[in-house]
Amino acid sequence: MLIKLRAPGWYRAALFDVIGFAFAFGLVVLIRTLMHEHPVLDGYAITTVALIAVPLFFLVGLGVADYWFYWAAGKRTRPEDHSAHGARTWRDYFRVNTDHKVIGIQYVVTSFFFLLIGGLLAMLMRAELAQPGMQFVTPEQYNGLFSVHASLLIFLFVIPVFAGLANFVLPLMIGAPDMAFPRLNALSFWLLPIAGLMMLASFLAPGGSFASGWTAYAPLSTSLPLGQTFFTLAVQFAGASSIATALNFLVTIITMRAPGMSFFRMPLLVWANFSTSLLVVIATPFIAASQFFVLLDRALGFQFFNAFVGAGKNGNVIMYQHVFWFYSHPAVYIMMLPGFGIISEVLAVKARKPIFGYRMMAFSLLAIVVLGFTVWAHHMFVSGMAPWIRIPMMVTTAIIAIPTGIKVFSWLATLWRGVLRLDTPMLFALGFLTMFTLGGISGVMLAMIPFDIHVSATYFIVAHIHYVLFGGSLFTIFAGVYYWFPKMTGRMFDDRLGKLHFWLTFIFFNITFGPMHLIGIQGMPRRVADYAQQFATWNLIISLASFGLGLSTLVFLYNMVASWRGGPRAAANPWRALTLEWQVSSPPPIFNFDAVPTVVGGPYEYGVPGAVHGIFKSPAEARPTGTIATSPTPE
Amino acid sequence: MEASAISHAEHHGPPPAHRSSRVEAPLLGMLLFIISEVMIFGAFFTAYFFIRVVNHNPWPAPGTTLPEAVAGVNTAILLSSSLTLHWSLVSVKSGNRFGLKAGIASTFLLGLTFLFVQINEYVHIGFAPYQSAQASIFYGLTGLHGAHVFIGLCLLLMVTIRAFRGHYSPESHRGMEVPGIYWHFVDIMWVVVYTTVYVL
Repeated sequence: MLIKLRAPGWYRAALFDVIGFAFAFGLVVLIRTLMHEHPVLDGYAITTVALIAVPLFFLVGLGVADYWFYWAAGKRTRPEDHSAHGARTWRDYFRVNTDHKVIGIQYVVTSFFFLLIGGLLAMLMRAELAQPGMQFVTPEQYNGLFSVHASLLIFLFVIPVFAGLANFVLPLMIGAPDMAFPRLNALSFWLLPIAGLMMLASFLAPGGSFASGWTAYAPLSTSLPLGQTFFTLAVQFAGASSIATALNFLVTIITMRAPGMSFFRMPLLVWANFSTSLLVVIATPFIAASQFFVLLDRALGFQFFNAFVGAGKNGNVIMYQHVFWFYSHPAVYIMMLPGFGIISEVLAVKARKPIFGYRMMAFSLLAIVVLGFTVWAHHMFVSGMAPWIRIPMMVTTAIIAIPTGIKVFSWLATLWRGVLRLDTPMLFALGFLTMFTLGGISGVMLAMIPFDIHVSATYFIVAHIHYVLFGGSLFTIFAGVYYWFPKMTGRMFDDRLGKLHFWLTFIFFNITFGPMHLIGIQGMPRRVADYAQQFATWNLIISLASFGLGLSTLVFLYNMVASWRGGPRAAANPWRALTLEWQVSSPPPIFNFDAVPTVVGGPYEYGVPGAVHGIFKSPAEARPTGTIATSPTPE
Repeated sequence: MEASAISHAEHHGPPPAHRSSRVEAPLLGMLLFIISEVMIFGAFFTAYFFIRVVNHNPWPAPGTTLPEAVAGVNTAILLSSSLTLHWSLVSVKSGNRFGLKAGIASTFLLGLTFLFVQINEYVHIGFAPYQSAQASIFYGLTGLHGAHVFIGLCLLLMVTIRAFRGHYSPESHRGMEVPGIYWHFVDIMWVVVYTTVYVL
């Protein structure tokens, strides 16, 4: 038992949790005694400190930092013997593992767990909204439901699931044996469940869960009960996780590409994650800071947002929104660009054609990164900020539709006269194209100041965000999960069930969120638990469709679980794709490659006779001798 | 292709990754991390900007003063720690172990002095963060920087321990170069904080 408590793992993590709580308790009591605060025992303060200390102690107990401690103390560090690579049983997925493939699956499964929870919360909301009047929950509980729903799906599903898919695929795609910093990679995964459980645990806090939406505007968030602190701190853990992953991706892409893999031979998924990671590294500190402000206001009585202190109005409320949206507008691209990458992979492979306008696809990603930092205040047209700021923000918002439009038209041109194979990944990719375009159009509508003022805080906003995040991001995630499922698990999924899943999702999605445009324009306010009688019919239809949408997820789950357990064995390259991850076995070997491959051509030369992207030879052997037909790249 | 035919059992470790950039991975990682850190300071300076400039609040809050002189001396202390750190790095590159140890230890002690003076300044400054938004910004910015000094000191402590235990050589000293970059960043950031909060 003592050995188990000393070795890294769940026993030690549990022990360290207890120590962490005792540490928080003692620290608060000590400080409050020294500062002559009464009462010395304050549950609010102890909870706040414990929410920081216990997760950190948990991580150390689990063993994410053992190597670093040895290193820091100048002891002999055990050289990496790679015995921790790969997962032999399901138990290995519950341990600290430095293998990017294991971490990728840990990421994807964890975030789908939070997708299901977030979806269930949405079902509760739709049950309440099926009829006017109050049926199941109180208005306060309803506020909590939509807040936790949005926070879980944004911070614990869409952002990390893309990081998970890329974690698995990206090192393989660029011919790297692992990520640049494997231990940091493990740490960034284990920060995630902490953030998610913290958000869920807020339901147990006195006063209920946090209820200020995922935006947590001050001063509402600085005056709500204890549950809000759970959000404030959970966002810090999720944010630290995404910064660490993004940094890891950037260093991996820059320093570990295979010989011959120039930037313009990288698959577009790699380009997409490169751009996303730039956004994360630059923008995420802003949401961290915004939550630090809220935390300092809540816990230590700082006055960042109190506009009525002392003689004058000192604090500034609008400042929260500027700082928050300076992260959260780039964040919508963090939630979308990796999906663009997935779609580029799937469409080119399933249409058997080179991607149209490869370079413009890459440049438009970078254009979105730059422009993404210039549009944040379009979320604040009705906030009371200086009115003139609205004009440049409207213009830049309209401009950012251009690189996105370049991508949509390039995808359409890729499909043009292609030999389309309409299996499940392709159906989701096509569904994404149509649904995301609709969401993009309502986005351009919202950029126009007069229209935005009219529909601000109505269901039109709800419709728009779900068309881009559900019909956009989630469809690309489904496309990606189906597309790489054979590579990740070594098994084929059931394509008939997959198609059923697609059609159920596609139809119920549109019945659920389409009518929200109409009732939004008519003025039904969002984030309110009750509504006027005139919206009753549409809301009943929406609620029924949303339950269908929820049930369609069960088809997906059954397909994934049953196929992973007993599906037919997958070939190494069932889609006849050219990118490197398909050139190794399914699932990939523990160390990805015996020798790093050499890249000799572009990644999307489908339909070009004899085209090769990468070959498993050293650069010297890979030189064309005249007998091997290598495709000329357009460089 | 060929690789798929080879079974897992024959592997004894991953193949060495191809170096596709002349930049070393730890160095690049630290630079990206510093970009992140600059942005978090940027967010705090945004708060400073809104409360001091947009709101036209008097600075510092009426009835309070900021100890420019003490903080100025403290600035000199922190900047000199950058010099000793550089001395330490130059020494390790030329194989001078005494210079390495003396340089890194004095860097650590100078950083510790800075933090001590900063805390002492809080104790005697005469206003609390909850008294005004200006006070919140003052404590927020200097506290954020103080937290970074603390992180930097933790890194320096590791480097010091390792230096005294005989690590680092003229060929291999990345383990002190990368934390050193972080420490220089903390110093430069202090100059910005000092200028905006105390001087302007």
